[in-house]
Amino acid sequence: MLDFISENRKPIITLALVTVVAYVFYFLDEIKTTSVLVFGWGYAVPLVLAAMVGIIGERTGVVNIGIEGQMLMSAFASFFGSVITGSIYLGMVIGILAGLVMGAFLAVAAVKWEMDQIIAGVVINIVAAGLTSFFYAPGKTLPQLMPVVSIPILSDIPLIGPVFFRNGLFALATLFIVLAVNYAIFRTRWGLRSRAVGEYPSAADAAGINVLRTRMLNVTLAGALAGCAGAFLALEAAGTFARGLTAGRGFLALAIMIFGAWNPLGALAAALFFGLSTAIASQLQADEVINIPQQFVNLLPFVMTLVVLAIAVGRVRPPAAAGQPYTKEG
Amino acid sequence: MKRMRTLAGISILALVLAACSSGSTDTAAEEGMEETTAAVLDDSNCAAAESFCVGLVTDIGKVDDKSFNQSAHEGAMAAAAEVDGFYKYIETTDTKDYAANMAQFTDKSYDVIVTVGFLMAEATVTAAKANPNTKFIGVDQFQGEEVANVTGLIFPEDQAGYGAGYLAGLMTKTNKIGSVLGLEIAPVQLFAKGFEAGAKASNPSVAVTTVYHPPADNAFGDPVWGAAEAKKQLAQGADIIFGAGGGTGNGALIEIAKAEGAGTAIFCIGVDTDQWFTVPEAQPCLITSAVKGLTEGTSDLVNLAFDGSIAGGNFVGSAGISDYHDFASVVPMDVQDKVAGVVAGLKDGSIKTGVTL
Repeated sequence: MLDFISENRKPIITLALVTVVAYVFYFLDEIKTTSVLVFGWGYAVPLVLAAMVGIIGERTGVVNIGIEGQMLMSAFASFFGSVITGSIYLGMVIGILAGLVMGAFLAVAAVKWEMDQIIAGVVINIVAAGLTSFFYAPGKTLPQLMPVVSIPILSDIPLIGPVFFRNGLFALATLFIVLAVNYAIFRTRWGLRSRAVGEYPSAADAAGINVLRTRMLNVTLAGALAGCAGAFLALEAAGTFARGLTAGRGFLALAIMIFGAWNPLGALAAALFFGLSTAIASQLQADEVINIPQQFVNLLPFVMTLVVLAIAVGRVRPPAAAGQPYTKEG
Repeated sequence: MKRMRTLAGISILALVLAACSSGSTDTAAEEGMEETTAAVLDDSNCAAAESFCVGLVTDIGKVDDKSFNQSAHEGAMAAAAEVDGFYKYIETTDTKDYAANMAQFTDKSYDVIVTVGFLMAEATVTAAKANPNTKFIGVDQFQGEEVANVTGLIFPEDQAGYGAGYLAGLMTKTNKIGSVLGLEIAPVQLFAKGFEAGAKASNPSVAVTTVYHPPADNAFGDPVWGAAEAKKQLAQGADIIFGAGGGTGNGALIEIAKAEGAGTAIFCIGVDTDQWFTVPEAQPCLITSAVKGLTEGTSDLVNLAFDGSIAGGNFVGSAGISDYHDFASVVPMDVQDKVAGVVAGLKDGSIKTGVTL
């Protein structure tokens, strides 16, 4: 326990500080603080899910530029799946399946065919934008609303409860998914093998790990998380589909992955930071507390990102074999 | 070898799909043409005096965007059909393509080119100076200096916003209203400031929250952000929210329609066109829309161009608020009368919005 604290001193201090500040604001203005945090977490959910896709891919040695397209396809599939089947739950399943298919597409193109990973990702983005806007039909409505679930006891905690534990299904699942991915990458045999494949594939191969199969599997499974992110956007966050619904969030997620140093918990923190600063920017605009043009207020998330990245620079290092196709020698 | 062929196949498929989604809308345009025009069958002889060709370039967005692209498209198409002209549209997918899209029409000597959206103003004037024989109609494009062959179709957005705000000021119970807006550009600002001025005029104690989308290419196409912002304003006590900003605003309207009390205690107000029809998902809360006469204004100008009586400079269209639809029974009669009086007063100039940018 003490070891854990001394090893992670900085994150723990930061977390404690943020919590204290949040509760100070909570006691100053309960409603505003809660609604700003709800906005922030809602903004962070698709970013952190998409960042998981990127992390799983790159940890295994496959760069995924196509997250944006994977999310867009899944959002499209989940929305129109719900509309056609008349059930939002079937829509969720269809959305996640669409994500899996898009993940498998990248896996086959980038791993099996050894296509350039960047180009494969770009192809996914273009295909997704093309297909979803071509087949989009306006004027459709969801058959039912995403149910809001309150987790007993946890949802009664002031501030944290309504923000994290009283949400739609995907937002609730996201916290669990992040913890699960973090555990799987750092504490399981699968995680160790995946990281070996992403760092030093020839050594992993020599040790008897099937590099290609590991990559295929991971990239495909990560697609399901992109499916969750897309379904969240269409079914939970917007409650509708529009062309280009993802609006660049898949690319933002890549920045968050780097910001979080290819670490799921780091990415969660980075996404929360981004979501919160976006929420604060909009709240400052609404309150007109400081009378400066909204363009400057809206710069806030990006300026803060720049500052944090500048401070953290040099300490982040991508997995060594990310982006390199693996061919067995001899 | 086989692998290479498969890859090539996928790449070609991707390119074809991308092409389908962006520039060419041949099939749709031809379908429209078959229905509407008999005299001119294609755009091969637009240069001839007896043929009348109308081209329309959308801003980023589609002609079924349920908002200003769609309205201008419908106006231009109807006006072209009325005079047996040929009509075709191009949907812009990237702001860098404005000039290239217009060139597709000028290369074939179209008579009239309609460009939709404030953001295209500069590209339109540049194209007009290069093609003095073509008439350009710039929807939502204020003309600072007059160019002989460019007519800017502008609207008193502040009047539409003022009417909607006046209604909101009378209807609010919490004395808190809000607006979820797209990019901070002149037409949106006029709507927002008019809304605030109108609300303050009918209810001096009302607090108005005004939030624009962060400046970005997707400012008019981010329903997820719009929904989140609307949710935040509702949580903070706003009971009437004005969603003005393309897809972003629509996201806000749809979110409000899902809120508890939508249609009884919580209302939303749409923008540009009567969104009762264009965003049916918002019907549970949509009390009215602050509308610009986009369809009417565009078709009027195309008709003027056909007559040859179109003049350069600015052409002011109409603006106001749309029908209450199902909310006609919810909005009290005396409120309806007051709002109608204000809208009429704005039109004849006896009431000023006092909005300046």
